[in-house]
Amino acid sequence: MAAGEPSPPTGARIGTVRRDGRTDVFFDGAAADRLMIRRCESCGRWFAPDASGCPECGTEELDWAEASGEAVLVSWAVAHSRTADPAPLALVELAEGPWMYGRLDAVAAPREGLPLQVCFVHPDEGESYPLFKEPA
Amino acid sequence: MTDTAIAGLGMTELGKVYGRSPRRLAADAVRGAAADAGLALADLDGLIVSSGMSGSPGIELAGTLGLRDLRLLTQMNSFGATTGAMVSYAAAMIQSGAASAVACAFADAPLSPERSSGSAYHRDAPEWHGLGGLNAALGFRSVNAFYALAARRHMERYGTTSEQLGAIAVSTRQWAARNPLAQMRDPISLDDHQRSRWVVEPLHLLDCCLVSNGGIAVIVTSAERARDLAQPPVHVWGWGQGHPGHRMARGSDFGLTTGATISGPAALKMAGITASEITVCQIYDCYTYTTLVSLEDYGFCAKGEGGAFAASGALGPGGALPTNTGGGQLSAYYMWGMTPLSEAVIQARGQGGERQVARNDVTLVSGNGGILDHHSTLIVSPHAKGR
Ligand SMILES: [Zn+2]
Repeated sequence: MAAGEPSPPTGARIGTVRRDGRTDVFFDGAAADRLMIRRCESCGRWFAPDASGCPECGTEELDWAEASGEAVLVSWAVAHSRTADPAPLALVELAEGPWMYGRLDAVAAPREGLPLQVCFVHPDEGESYPLFKEPA
Repeated sequence: MTDTAIAGLGMTELGKVYGRSPRRLAADAVRGAAADAGLALADLDGLIVSSGMSGSPGIELAGTLGLRDLRLLTQMNSFGATTGAMVSYAAAMIQSGAASAVACAFADAPLSPERSSGSAYHRDAPEWHGLGGLNAALGFRSVNAFYALAARRHMERYGTTSEQLGAIAVSTRQWAARNPLAQMRDPISLDDHQRSRWVVEPLHLLDCCLVSNGGIAVIVTSAERARDLAQPPVHVWGWGQGHPGHRMARGSDFGLTTGATISGPAALKMAGITASEITVCQIYDCYTYTTLVSLEDYGFCAKGEGGAFAASGALGPGGALPTNTGGGQLSAYYMWGMTPLSEAVIQARGQGGERQVARNDVTLVSGNGGILDHHSTLIVSPHAKGR
């Protein structure tokens, strides 16, 4: 690929991911093809999986809840490195409202507002993880 | 109200400077700033130390310098907005009478001879842990990725192009070519920008700032006292901060606007001027995109027209709004908010040599920290406030 040419999204070879003891619900969900995100029990607001509390009502303990998996694309980027394939990165807006960082799977023509659907990769080594692709 | 001024500027060697710790660099910068002002270290009664990336000093810097009986000593952190925050706090303390001569220092040494220039700001590991690790594994290995998302959003919403970002890289390098302190002085063309390798699309290598070792400090004192010191006073007319707290959720303006929409009007109001009276800009340019979006938010062009504004040639030598006249963080040196402030002081004093701008009456100095999370603004001038 010539420098300066837009590069196509590539597959999903990523580094090996391990759970850290605080995120079992997320990775158990991913293993079962379910996107688990955070929800405030007090006020019902939804948050990204890495949220640590609800700024609206002050709750520090957020529940886990299953998201629909529907999203739209907010922005995207392609990370290049000397040691890995180009990585099609995404910032998506989940149907429930929160934004989430992620990675695209085979999205040929990304644009703001593009409808997306979560899907999951189950690697031989390490935890399952989500990607976002265009709905079938 | 006591008016305040920057009376001293100290800069160590900047760039691939090895063998000196951040603490040593900060101490050298403070010594240099005091000497530049014509002050002894014993004349200082305040010291404010900036956070940094890699072992930057805290308040123990006072002990390193042997400062005694200080009336103000603290460390501050609002990332890339810290310099503006330090100078404004120093100025407010001087106005209140709580301090009279305050050094504000930044130093960092993320580079080492063994490590590539980006590694201090870049993550790499054989495996990753938890959700933060998942993002890194997916490819979010450095701050570049988040700024790339911000830039892309601006491009998508407003039609901003990579070539327009490139115009900023080119004009900033034109200034750097005239600055003996700049690390990158070879002229570049728009074609060079377009051909430079991708870091994170849509950001090319030449959209991204340098990484530098070094230290810079300034001395803030009353305008009255500064008049009797060694250097022409650089009067501080106004300041402001803006921390938008973008919620990363539906309705967010992330990537489209910055805290400059808050800090800019506040600083201009305090200075008693409008943006149209600014003659020079020194903008925190961690990326070409940051220059562009900040200029929009300060009102130098309409929202969404920053690309066309940059491509018009307004920012370069001979342009209507000389911007980052020392080469900025893109081409000169990356000392967080001390990059724009140091060049503002040099220009306001008329010491810019080959790059000196003719109309140096009012300079806007902008800081930007986090991922567009923290902004600070200073308005400085060679003229006393209310001239
Ligand atoms: Zn709540």
